[in-house]
Formats: sequence, structure tokens, C-alpha cells
Amino acid sequence: MTRAVIDPVTRIEGHLRVECEVTDGVVSDAWVSGTLYRGMESVLKGRHPEDAFYVSQRICGVCPTSHGHASSMATENALGITIPNGARIIRNILECAEFLHSHLLWFYTLTALDYVSPINALSANIADTYSLAEQAGARVADFGAIAKRLTAFAENGQLSILTGHYWDHPGYVLPPELDLIATAHYLEALEMQAVAAEVVAIIGGKFPHPMTSVPGGTAFVPTDQKLDDILFRLQRVKDFIDTALIPDTLAIAPYILDATTYGKGVGNYLSWGVFDNEDMDPYNRFLPRGFMSGSLAVEKVGAEDVTEYTSHSWYDSATNLNPSKGETDVKFTSYDVNDRYSYGKAARCKDKPAEVGPLARMLVSYVNEAGGKSPIPDAWANTVRTPKKLIDGTLEALGVAGKPEVLQSLLGRVAARNLEAAYVVDLSLQFTNELITAIKGGDVSFFKAPEKFDGAGAGLWEAPRGSVGHWIDIKGNQIERYQVVAPTTWDIAPRDDNGVRGPMEESLVGAPCVDTERPLELLRIAHSFDP
Amino acid sequence: MAHEAHSALQNLLEIRGVTRRDFLKYCGSVAAALGLSETMAPQIATALEGAPKLMPTLWLNGGSCTGCTESLAQVDSPDVATIVLDFLSANYFETIMAAAGEQAEKNVADTIAAGGYILIYEGAVMAGQDGNTLLVAGRKSTEILEEAAAGAAAIIAVGSCAVDGGWVRGRPNAAGGTGVQAWLNHKNIKTPVVNLPTCPVNPEWIVAMIVDLLLVADRDVATFVAKNEWITRDYSDETYGKVSLLMPKGIFGQSIHDNCPRRGHFENGEFVTEFGSEEEAKGYCLYKMGCKGPQTFTNCPIVRWNRRASWCVEAGSPCIGCGGLNWVDNNTPFFHRVSDMWMGEGLGNVQPGSVAAIVGGVAAVGLTAHGLGMKAAGRIGEGPKMEEASAYDRKHEAKKGGDK
Repeated sequence: MTRAVIDPVTRIEGHLRVECEVTDGVVSDAWVSGTLYRGMESVLKGRHPEDAFYVSQRICGVCPTSHGHASSMATENALGITIPNGARIIRNILECAEFLHSHLLWFYTLTALDYVSPINALSANIADTYSLAEQAGARVADFGAIAKRLTAFAENGQLSILTGHYWDHPGYVLPPELDLIATAHYLEALEMQAVAAEVVAIIGGKFPHPMTSVPGGTAFVPTDQKLDDILFRLQRVKDFIDTALIPDTLAIAPYILDATTYGKGVGNYLSWGVFDNEDMDPYNRFLPRGFMSGSLAVEKVGAEDVTEYTSHSWYDSATNLNPSKGETDVKFTSYDVNDRYSYGKAARCKDKPAEVGPLARMLVSYVNEAGGKSPIPDAWANTVRTPKKLIDGTLEALGVAGKPEVLQSLLGRVAARNLEAAYVVDLSLQFTNELITAIKGGDVSFFKAPEKFDGAGAGLWEAPRGSVGHWIDIKGNQIERYQVVAPTTWDIAPRDDNGVRGPMEESLVGAPCVDTERPLELLRIAHSFDP
Repeated sequence: MAHEAHSALQNLLEIRGVTRRDFLKYCGSVAAALGLSETMAPQIATALEGAPKLMPTLWLNGGSCTGCTESLAQVDSPDVATIVLDFLSANYFETIMAAAGEQAEKNVADTIAAGGYILIYEGAVMAGQDGNTLLVAGRKSTEILEEAAAGAAAIIAVGSCAVDGGWVRGRPNAAGGTGVQAWLNHKNIKTPVVNLPTCPVNPEWIVAMIVDLLLVADRDVATFVAKNEWITRDYSDETYGKVSLLMPKGIFGQSIHDNCPRRGHFENGEFVTEFGSEEEAKGYCLYKMGCKGPQTFTNCPIVRWNRRASWCVEAGSPCIGCGGLNWVDNNTPFFHRVSDMWMGEGLGNVQPGSVAAIVGGVAAVGLTAHGLGMKAAGRIGEGPKMEEASAYDRKHEAKKGGDK
């Protein structure tokens, strides 16, 4: 029995430690620790509710758009405001761009280097690389020039961001030609994630930390030129997803099929839902609300179903509280996996640990669609690839047609995120066209001013990496209580008071770890949650 | 030697398909971001071409949201900017580096041991709970900062959190956040710190500073400091006392209000009074919505954001002053007008320490110059516009249920 520790887990947003007990090459226990406390909830207390949108999104520099939306929705929920239809569509486009930016950044910049070796790509045969790209339906680049560039980089002896990694680990199994294709796309993705982020900037002024989705609607007023700028960029992103992200996923998957046999986790899935439909019904969002508990059956779920345990976390606060009554009084003791070991609270849904993120959302959509329930209007049916179509096509391509349960694994979690990107980019183009049509039809209302600031509410939405909830309690124009249950709070949850592991902890247990000094498999699993 | 380096750059440019013309154009934008004339472009190009091998760099994340790393990832434009970044050997860069865990920590130790590196710090310095509000590799993050800072040739504090603690330092500052310069003063570490506020940092400024330090000043910190024009901003940290921050004047020397494309509407008395309105569609001034442009000193309206796609005011939001000091305490409520805060109506939300910062710092100059001072100077006529604005606000606030 040995310990494998990754601290810091790099290529993520924030600060994370993963510690595993490994027995005969298999993980037998795991502890995941969030090692940073900043105190956002206490900073917001006593301020004006309109300030919360701007400040609270600074929780996350990768998904500020989603936090900002959850925050404004909490205030709107507390005040009983329904935002105008134009603002609904603008927020949907913003959130789509946020998802596209984040998913592209995640696959290429954050996790690809767990599978792809740019060093191995140096030995690729250039002609074979072109043949492989054609066969995979992947966009070509000047592969010869990129190989030359990589060689020059390697030969100068300073590997910069590639320094010190275990490139000779036996887990790097791709042929050099595929490594070269993926490395070319890694470089191009740096450009494409920025193009997606430009859409956020056009609407919100800048990314990260866009400025437009204030409580009541949007500050932004679309013009013809801005709409053209948005459409053009989304089209470019779609092209990259269709000719790089999806083909790369399908080309790499056959080499790592063993990753369908571990990494499942708790088997409970939560989605608050994201991308509002015209009826503003969370169960009819384009990625709908739902909870699955141990089986692929979708239940209803709401803000009242959430609690947070604190007995293994560095807080001196009561345990098992709903966020509407939540407390966050920090008190560090020591790092002790048998006692307190994380700044993360143990979020629970209906008293169960719940995985959040693209896998949860795509499963909820899949089950709904299989049951004949789809949020997509008939008029969009030919232009939008639905979650079920995307999943079924992928399962067939990998030789496991009709078995959606294989998605409950490391590889499934990776694939779900990339397939979701394909769905979201199709939606983004439809939303933009919907906005253009609405404006042409005279629908030019984007903001409904709050009348008075009193009340309590919750904003339940989805960030790229999973379910995000903001709870606000407003008294006399001031925030009395503010609580956030962030996506990563769900996924990196420590044990609860009953000793039940959190989702990432549970997904690590049972995973292979061939080299505890270089625990590549564990890094892959941690990254698969996009923490 | 210089000739060899020149060839190496030429090769890099060719490999990346960058023409000489593109390269010079890029150098021009670097010059603009530095606050220099674009006629400086050939000199910057010459400096770049003479660059020796990669400069070792540590990019450490303190109490951050990773937004400043994200912001850097948005910098222009395919390969031209990354050439400059390729002049850095980013031996530790948490969000994008391949290595993790022990291997990553070894990269830090090796770089510090070798010396001659620059340190870029993102996020607040986390001093609360006796330094345990941020642990990295099982250690207090403050200790890692001290080791890395002591041996660095220079430090760049990127983003408002690293500059003075940012929003983390907002009251009640339960996490004990502070800025890099404040912490280094406290630990008596004298390495020079260049401060680049805003939340997140504008990536053009990081690139400008890196180019300037490594290439224009040929890595010589003394030359870098001597050749640039600087301003200092002073504030008082609640725990660590008086702090003096060094900032490049070309970037932080003028107010947003002075360079705002909507400034003409301010002069004409044409204001937005509701979000998403017809006035917003016309691009009127957001001053009445609480815009902090007059008291915030950055060149955002010129450099813009996300490869010049837009900036905050263009999206219809008032500036919230994220480039100011202790910006959350000093600028909330964001939709409350500057002059009202100044005249006392909103002081309930401002702590004594913050008031000192406003009065003692550049912000006070901004307020005087652009609020009361402008009226006194007659620049906005006899003053009726300001009076009307106040009357409007009183009515507007009353409708919303009193002063915020």
C-alpha cells in the first residue's frame, strides 16, 4: 500500500490536491482537497444587491459569465422579476460563447497533454500525418512546419511549459502522427478559444469578467454590426469543433478504450439546466434541469434539495444546512484526511453526492429525448445536432452502439464535454438568428428595472463545468446573506458527515495507477471534471 | 552573438509564417500599449531581433480566480504575440504547464536555484489563518512567494488582487488577502515590483512590460526602471501600513474619462439613465449610472480588451473602477455616482481606511478634476449640468427606495 499525491494539480482553475492510497496498482481510497479560501460570500454581505453580479463572478476567471448569470438570476428570483425576451436570448448567446470558450480551452490547453505528447510528435512521418488527418476527417495544418517548429523548440533545450513532465510514461500510447495532428490543433485551439471569448467581449465588454448581465436584463443593446461580428465568430468556432475537436476525440478514443472501465464515480447526476427557452421553464431549458440517483431516470430537483456538510472542511459553521441558511466561518485546523482536509464543503443533493458537468447534462438530455421530450423547436430540427443524436453516433463509432451506460467512465466524461460543445455551437447560431428575428419584429426590450430590493431567492444555472447556484437574502437594499454552491464544490466535495466520498474521490477509487511517482491516470481523472 | 540571435528570430518568424510587415505592425501595437509613439516600432523590432535565449519565468498563482491567466490567453493574434511569449521559458505556470505535483514543484526550486528569472504573481497574497488560506504542495503559499521574490530579477504583480489584495481584501477580508508589494515590505524583500491593476489584468500590458524589460532594456532591471516613466500610488493597508506602488505612467497616467469615446456626450449633457435603453443604443454617457471612469486611471478605452473587440463601457456598463485601489470597498455601490460618494451621501458603505485611500490617493485628484473641479473650472459651463444630474439622481434614487 503506497500513497500517490498530486499537489498542486496543475492545468485547472484554482488550487487542488489529490491524495490516493494505492494497493497492488489500483486506487483503494482517495481524498480531494480544495486548498484555497478567499471569502467571497462574506465580502458581499452588507453591499447592494446590484453589486453582487459584478463581484461574485470573480469567483472564477474561467466561468465568470455563468456565475454572473446565476447571481443576477438569484436577485431577479428574490425580487420577482422576469427578464425581457431579448435579454433572455442575449444571455443565452453569452452563455454559449462561455461554454465554447471553456470547452475548447479544457480539451486542448488543460487536458490534452495527459494523452498527447508533443515530444513524441517529433518523430511523426509527415506524409502519414496527412493521410491520417484525411482518414479521421480532421482539418489539416502545415504539419511539416509545425514539426520543424517543435524541433526548434525542443533543440533549444528550454522546454518552457513542457518542462519536467513524465513524457516517457507508458500511458502515452498515441502514434506520433496523431500526436502531431493533436499538437497542431492544440496550437490552433489557443486562437479558437480566444475567438469564442471575443463573442463574450462583444456583448459584455471583456472576457474574463463581462459586464452586461445586470439584474433585470442586459446593459448591452445589439446593433447590426455587433450581431454580424458575433455570427462570424461563432461560425469559425463551429468549423473548428467539427473539423478538430470532434474528429480528434474520435481518433484518440480507440487508443484509450480501457478508460471506459474506470472513473465512473458516484453515479448520481445533477443539472440545474442552462439556456432558457421562451417559456423560462427550467425543465424545458435547452440543457434541462434534472437529477439522477443511481439509475438513468430523471427526477425533479430544486434549491430546497441542497445541503452542505462541513465536518471534514475547514469551517467553524453548522453542518448540513441548506444554502438559504448557509454559513461560512473559516477556521483552518490542519490537513488531516481522517478529520478536516479541505476548504470545499461537501455539497449534497437529496442527501447524496452528485456529479455535475457535461456528463450529467448530456445524460439528462439523453434520457428526456429517449422518452420523447425535447426542448428543441421543430424549425431547428434540421440544423441542431441533438444530444441523443450526438451520443448515439459516437457510441456506434466506438463499437458500443445502444450502450449509453459506458458514458459513466473517464472516457465518457471526456467525450460528453466535447459532444456538448457540438450541440452548444449549433444552438449558439440559432440563438443569434432568433435575436435578429426578434429585433426585426420590434422586440427591443432588454432590461426591466428592479422596483425595490427586498426578498430572498436562488439562481440555479449551469457553468461549463457544472451546476452553479447562488442564494441571496436581501433586506432593506442590502445583502443580508449570500451563499454560492459552485460547480467544483459539487465535484471536489470531501466526505460528508456520514463518511460518504465526494464525486471525484469516488471516481478515483478503483482506477489503475501503474506508477505512484508519476500518477498519470489520476491526473486524467481529476482533469476529466474540469475542476 | 547578436547576429546568431537575429537569425534565430528570423527562423522563428519564417516557421510561423509571420512576415516582416506583420512583425513591424505588431511592434507598433507593443509601442502603443507601452504608451510610446508608434514610431518606436523599428527600435522595438531591433531589440526583439537581438534577443538572446529564453528568459526563465515563474508565474505563481496566489489567491486568484485564474482570470489573469485567462486574460493573457486572449492576447493578440495567432502567432505574433506568442513569439514574444516564447522568449520566456515559463518553467512554472500552473494553468498551462504540463507538469503537476512534485515535478512542478521541482521546476520552481530549479528555477530559483539558477536565478536570473522574472516572477509574475497573479492573485492576492493569502496571509489569513496564519498563512493557511492558501496551501500549495502542502506549504503556505506566502513562503513560496517569499523564496521566489527574493531571488527574482524583477516582479510583475498582475491584476488588482496581486496589486493590493483586490476584491479579496474587501471588507471584512476574512481570508487575510493583501498585495504583493505590501507583503514584501512586511518581509523586507527589496526586489522591484511593477504593478498592473484591473480585474483581470489587460494582457496587452503584461506583454508590453515583458517586451520592455527583456528586450528594450536588455533584461537589465536598472535600465528598465530608468528608461520608463513611472507613477507611484500610495495607500494604507489595514495590516501592513503604508505601501507605495510603482506603475507605468503610459498605461496608468490618464483617466478612463479623459479617453472615453463617450466623452462628447458627457460634455453635451447626454446621459444614459436606464440600461438597455434608447440612450444606450445612441452611446450616451454612463456617468449617471455610476461610471467610475473619472476616478479610474487606465488606458482601457485606447487598448480595449480581447484583441480590441470591445471594452466595458462599449458594452453599456458603467466602469466599476476595477483598476483603482481597494476597488470593491471604494467603488460600491457601483451604480452610485462618484460625486455623491464624495459628498458624503454614500459614505455609510465606505470604511475610514478607504476614505483615507480616496482622499490621499490619485482617486481624490480624479474626483476633484472631473467632478467638482471641472465645474469650478467652468469646463462644463456654469455648472447647471452637474446640478441637474444631482437633482435627477435624487429623484431616481427616491423612486428606487431611497439612497443605496
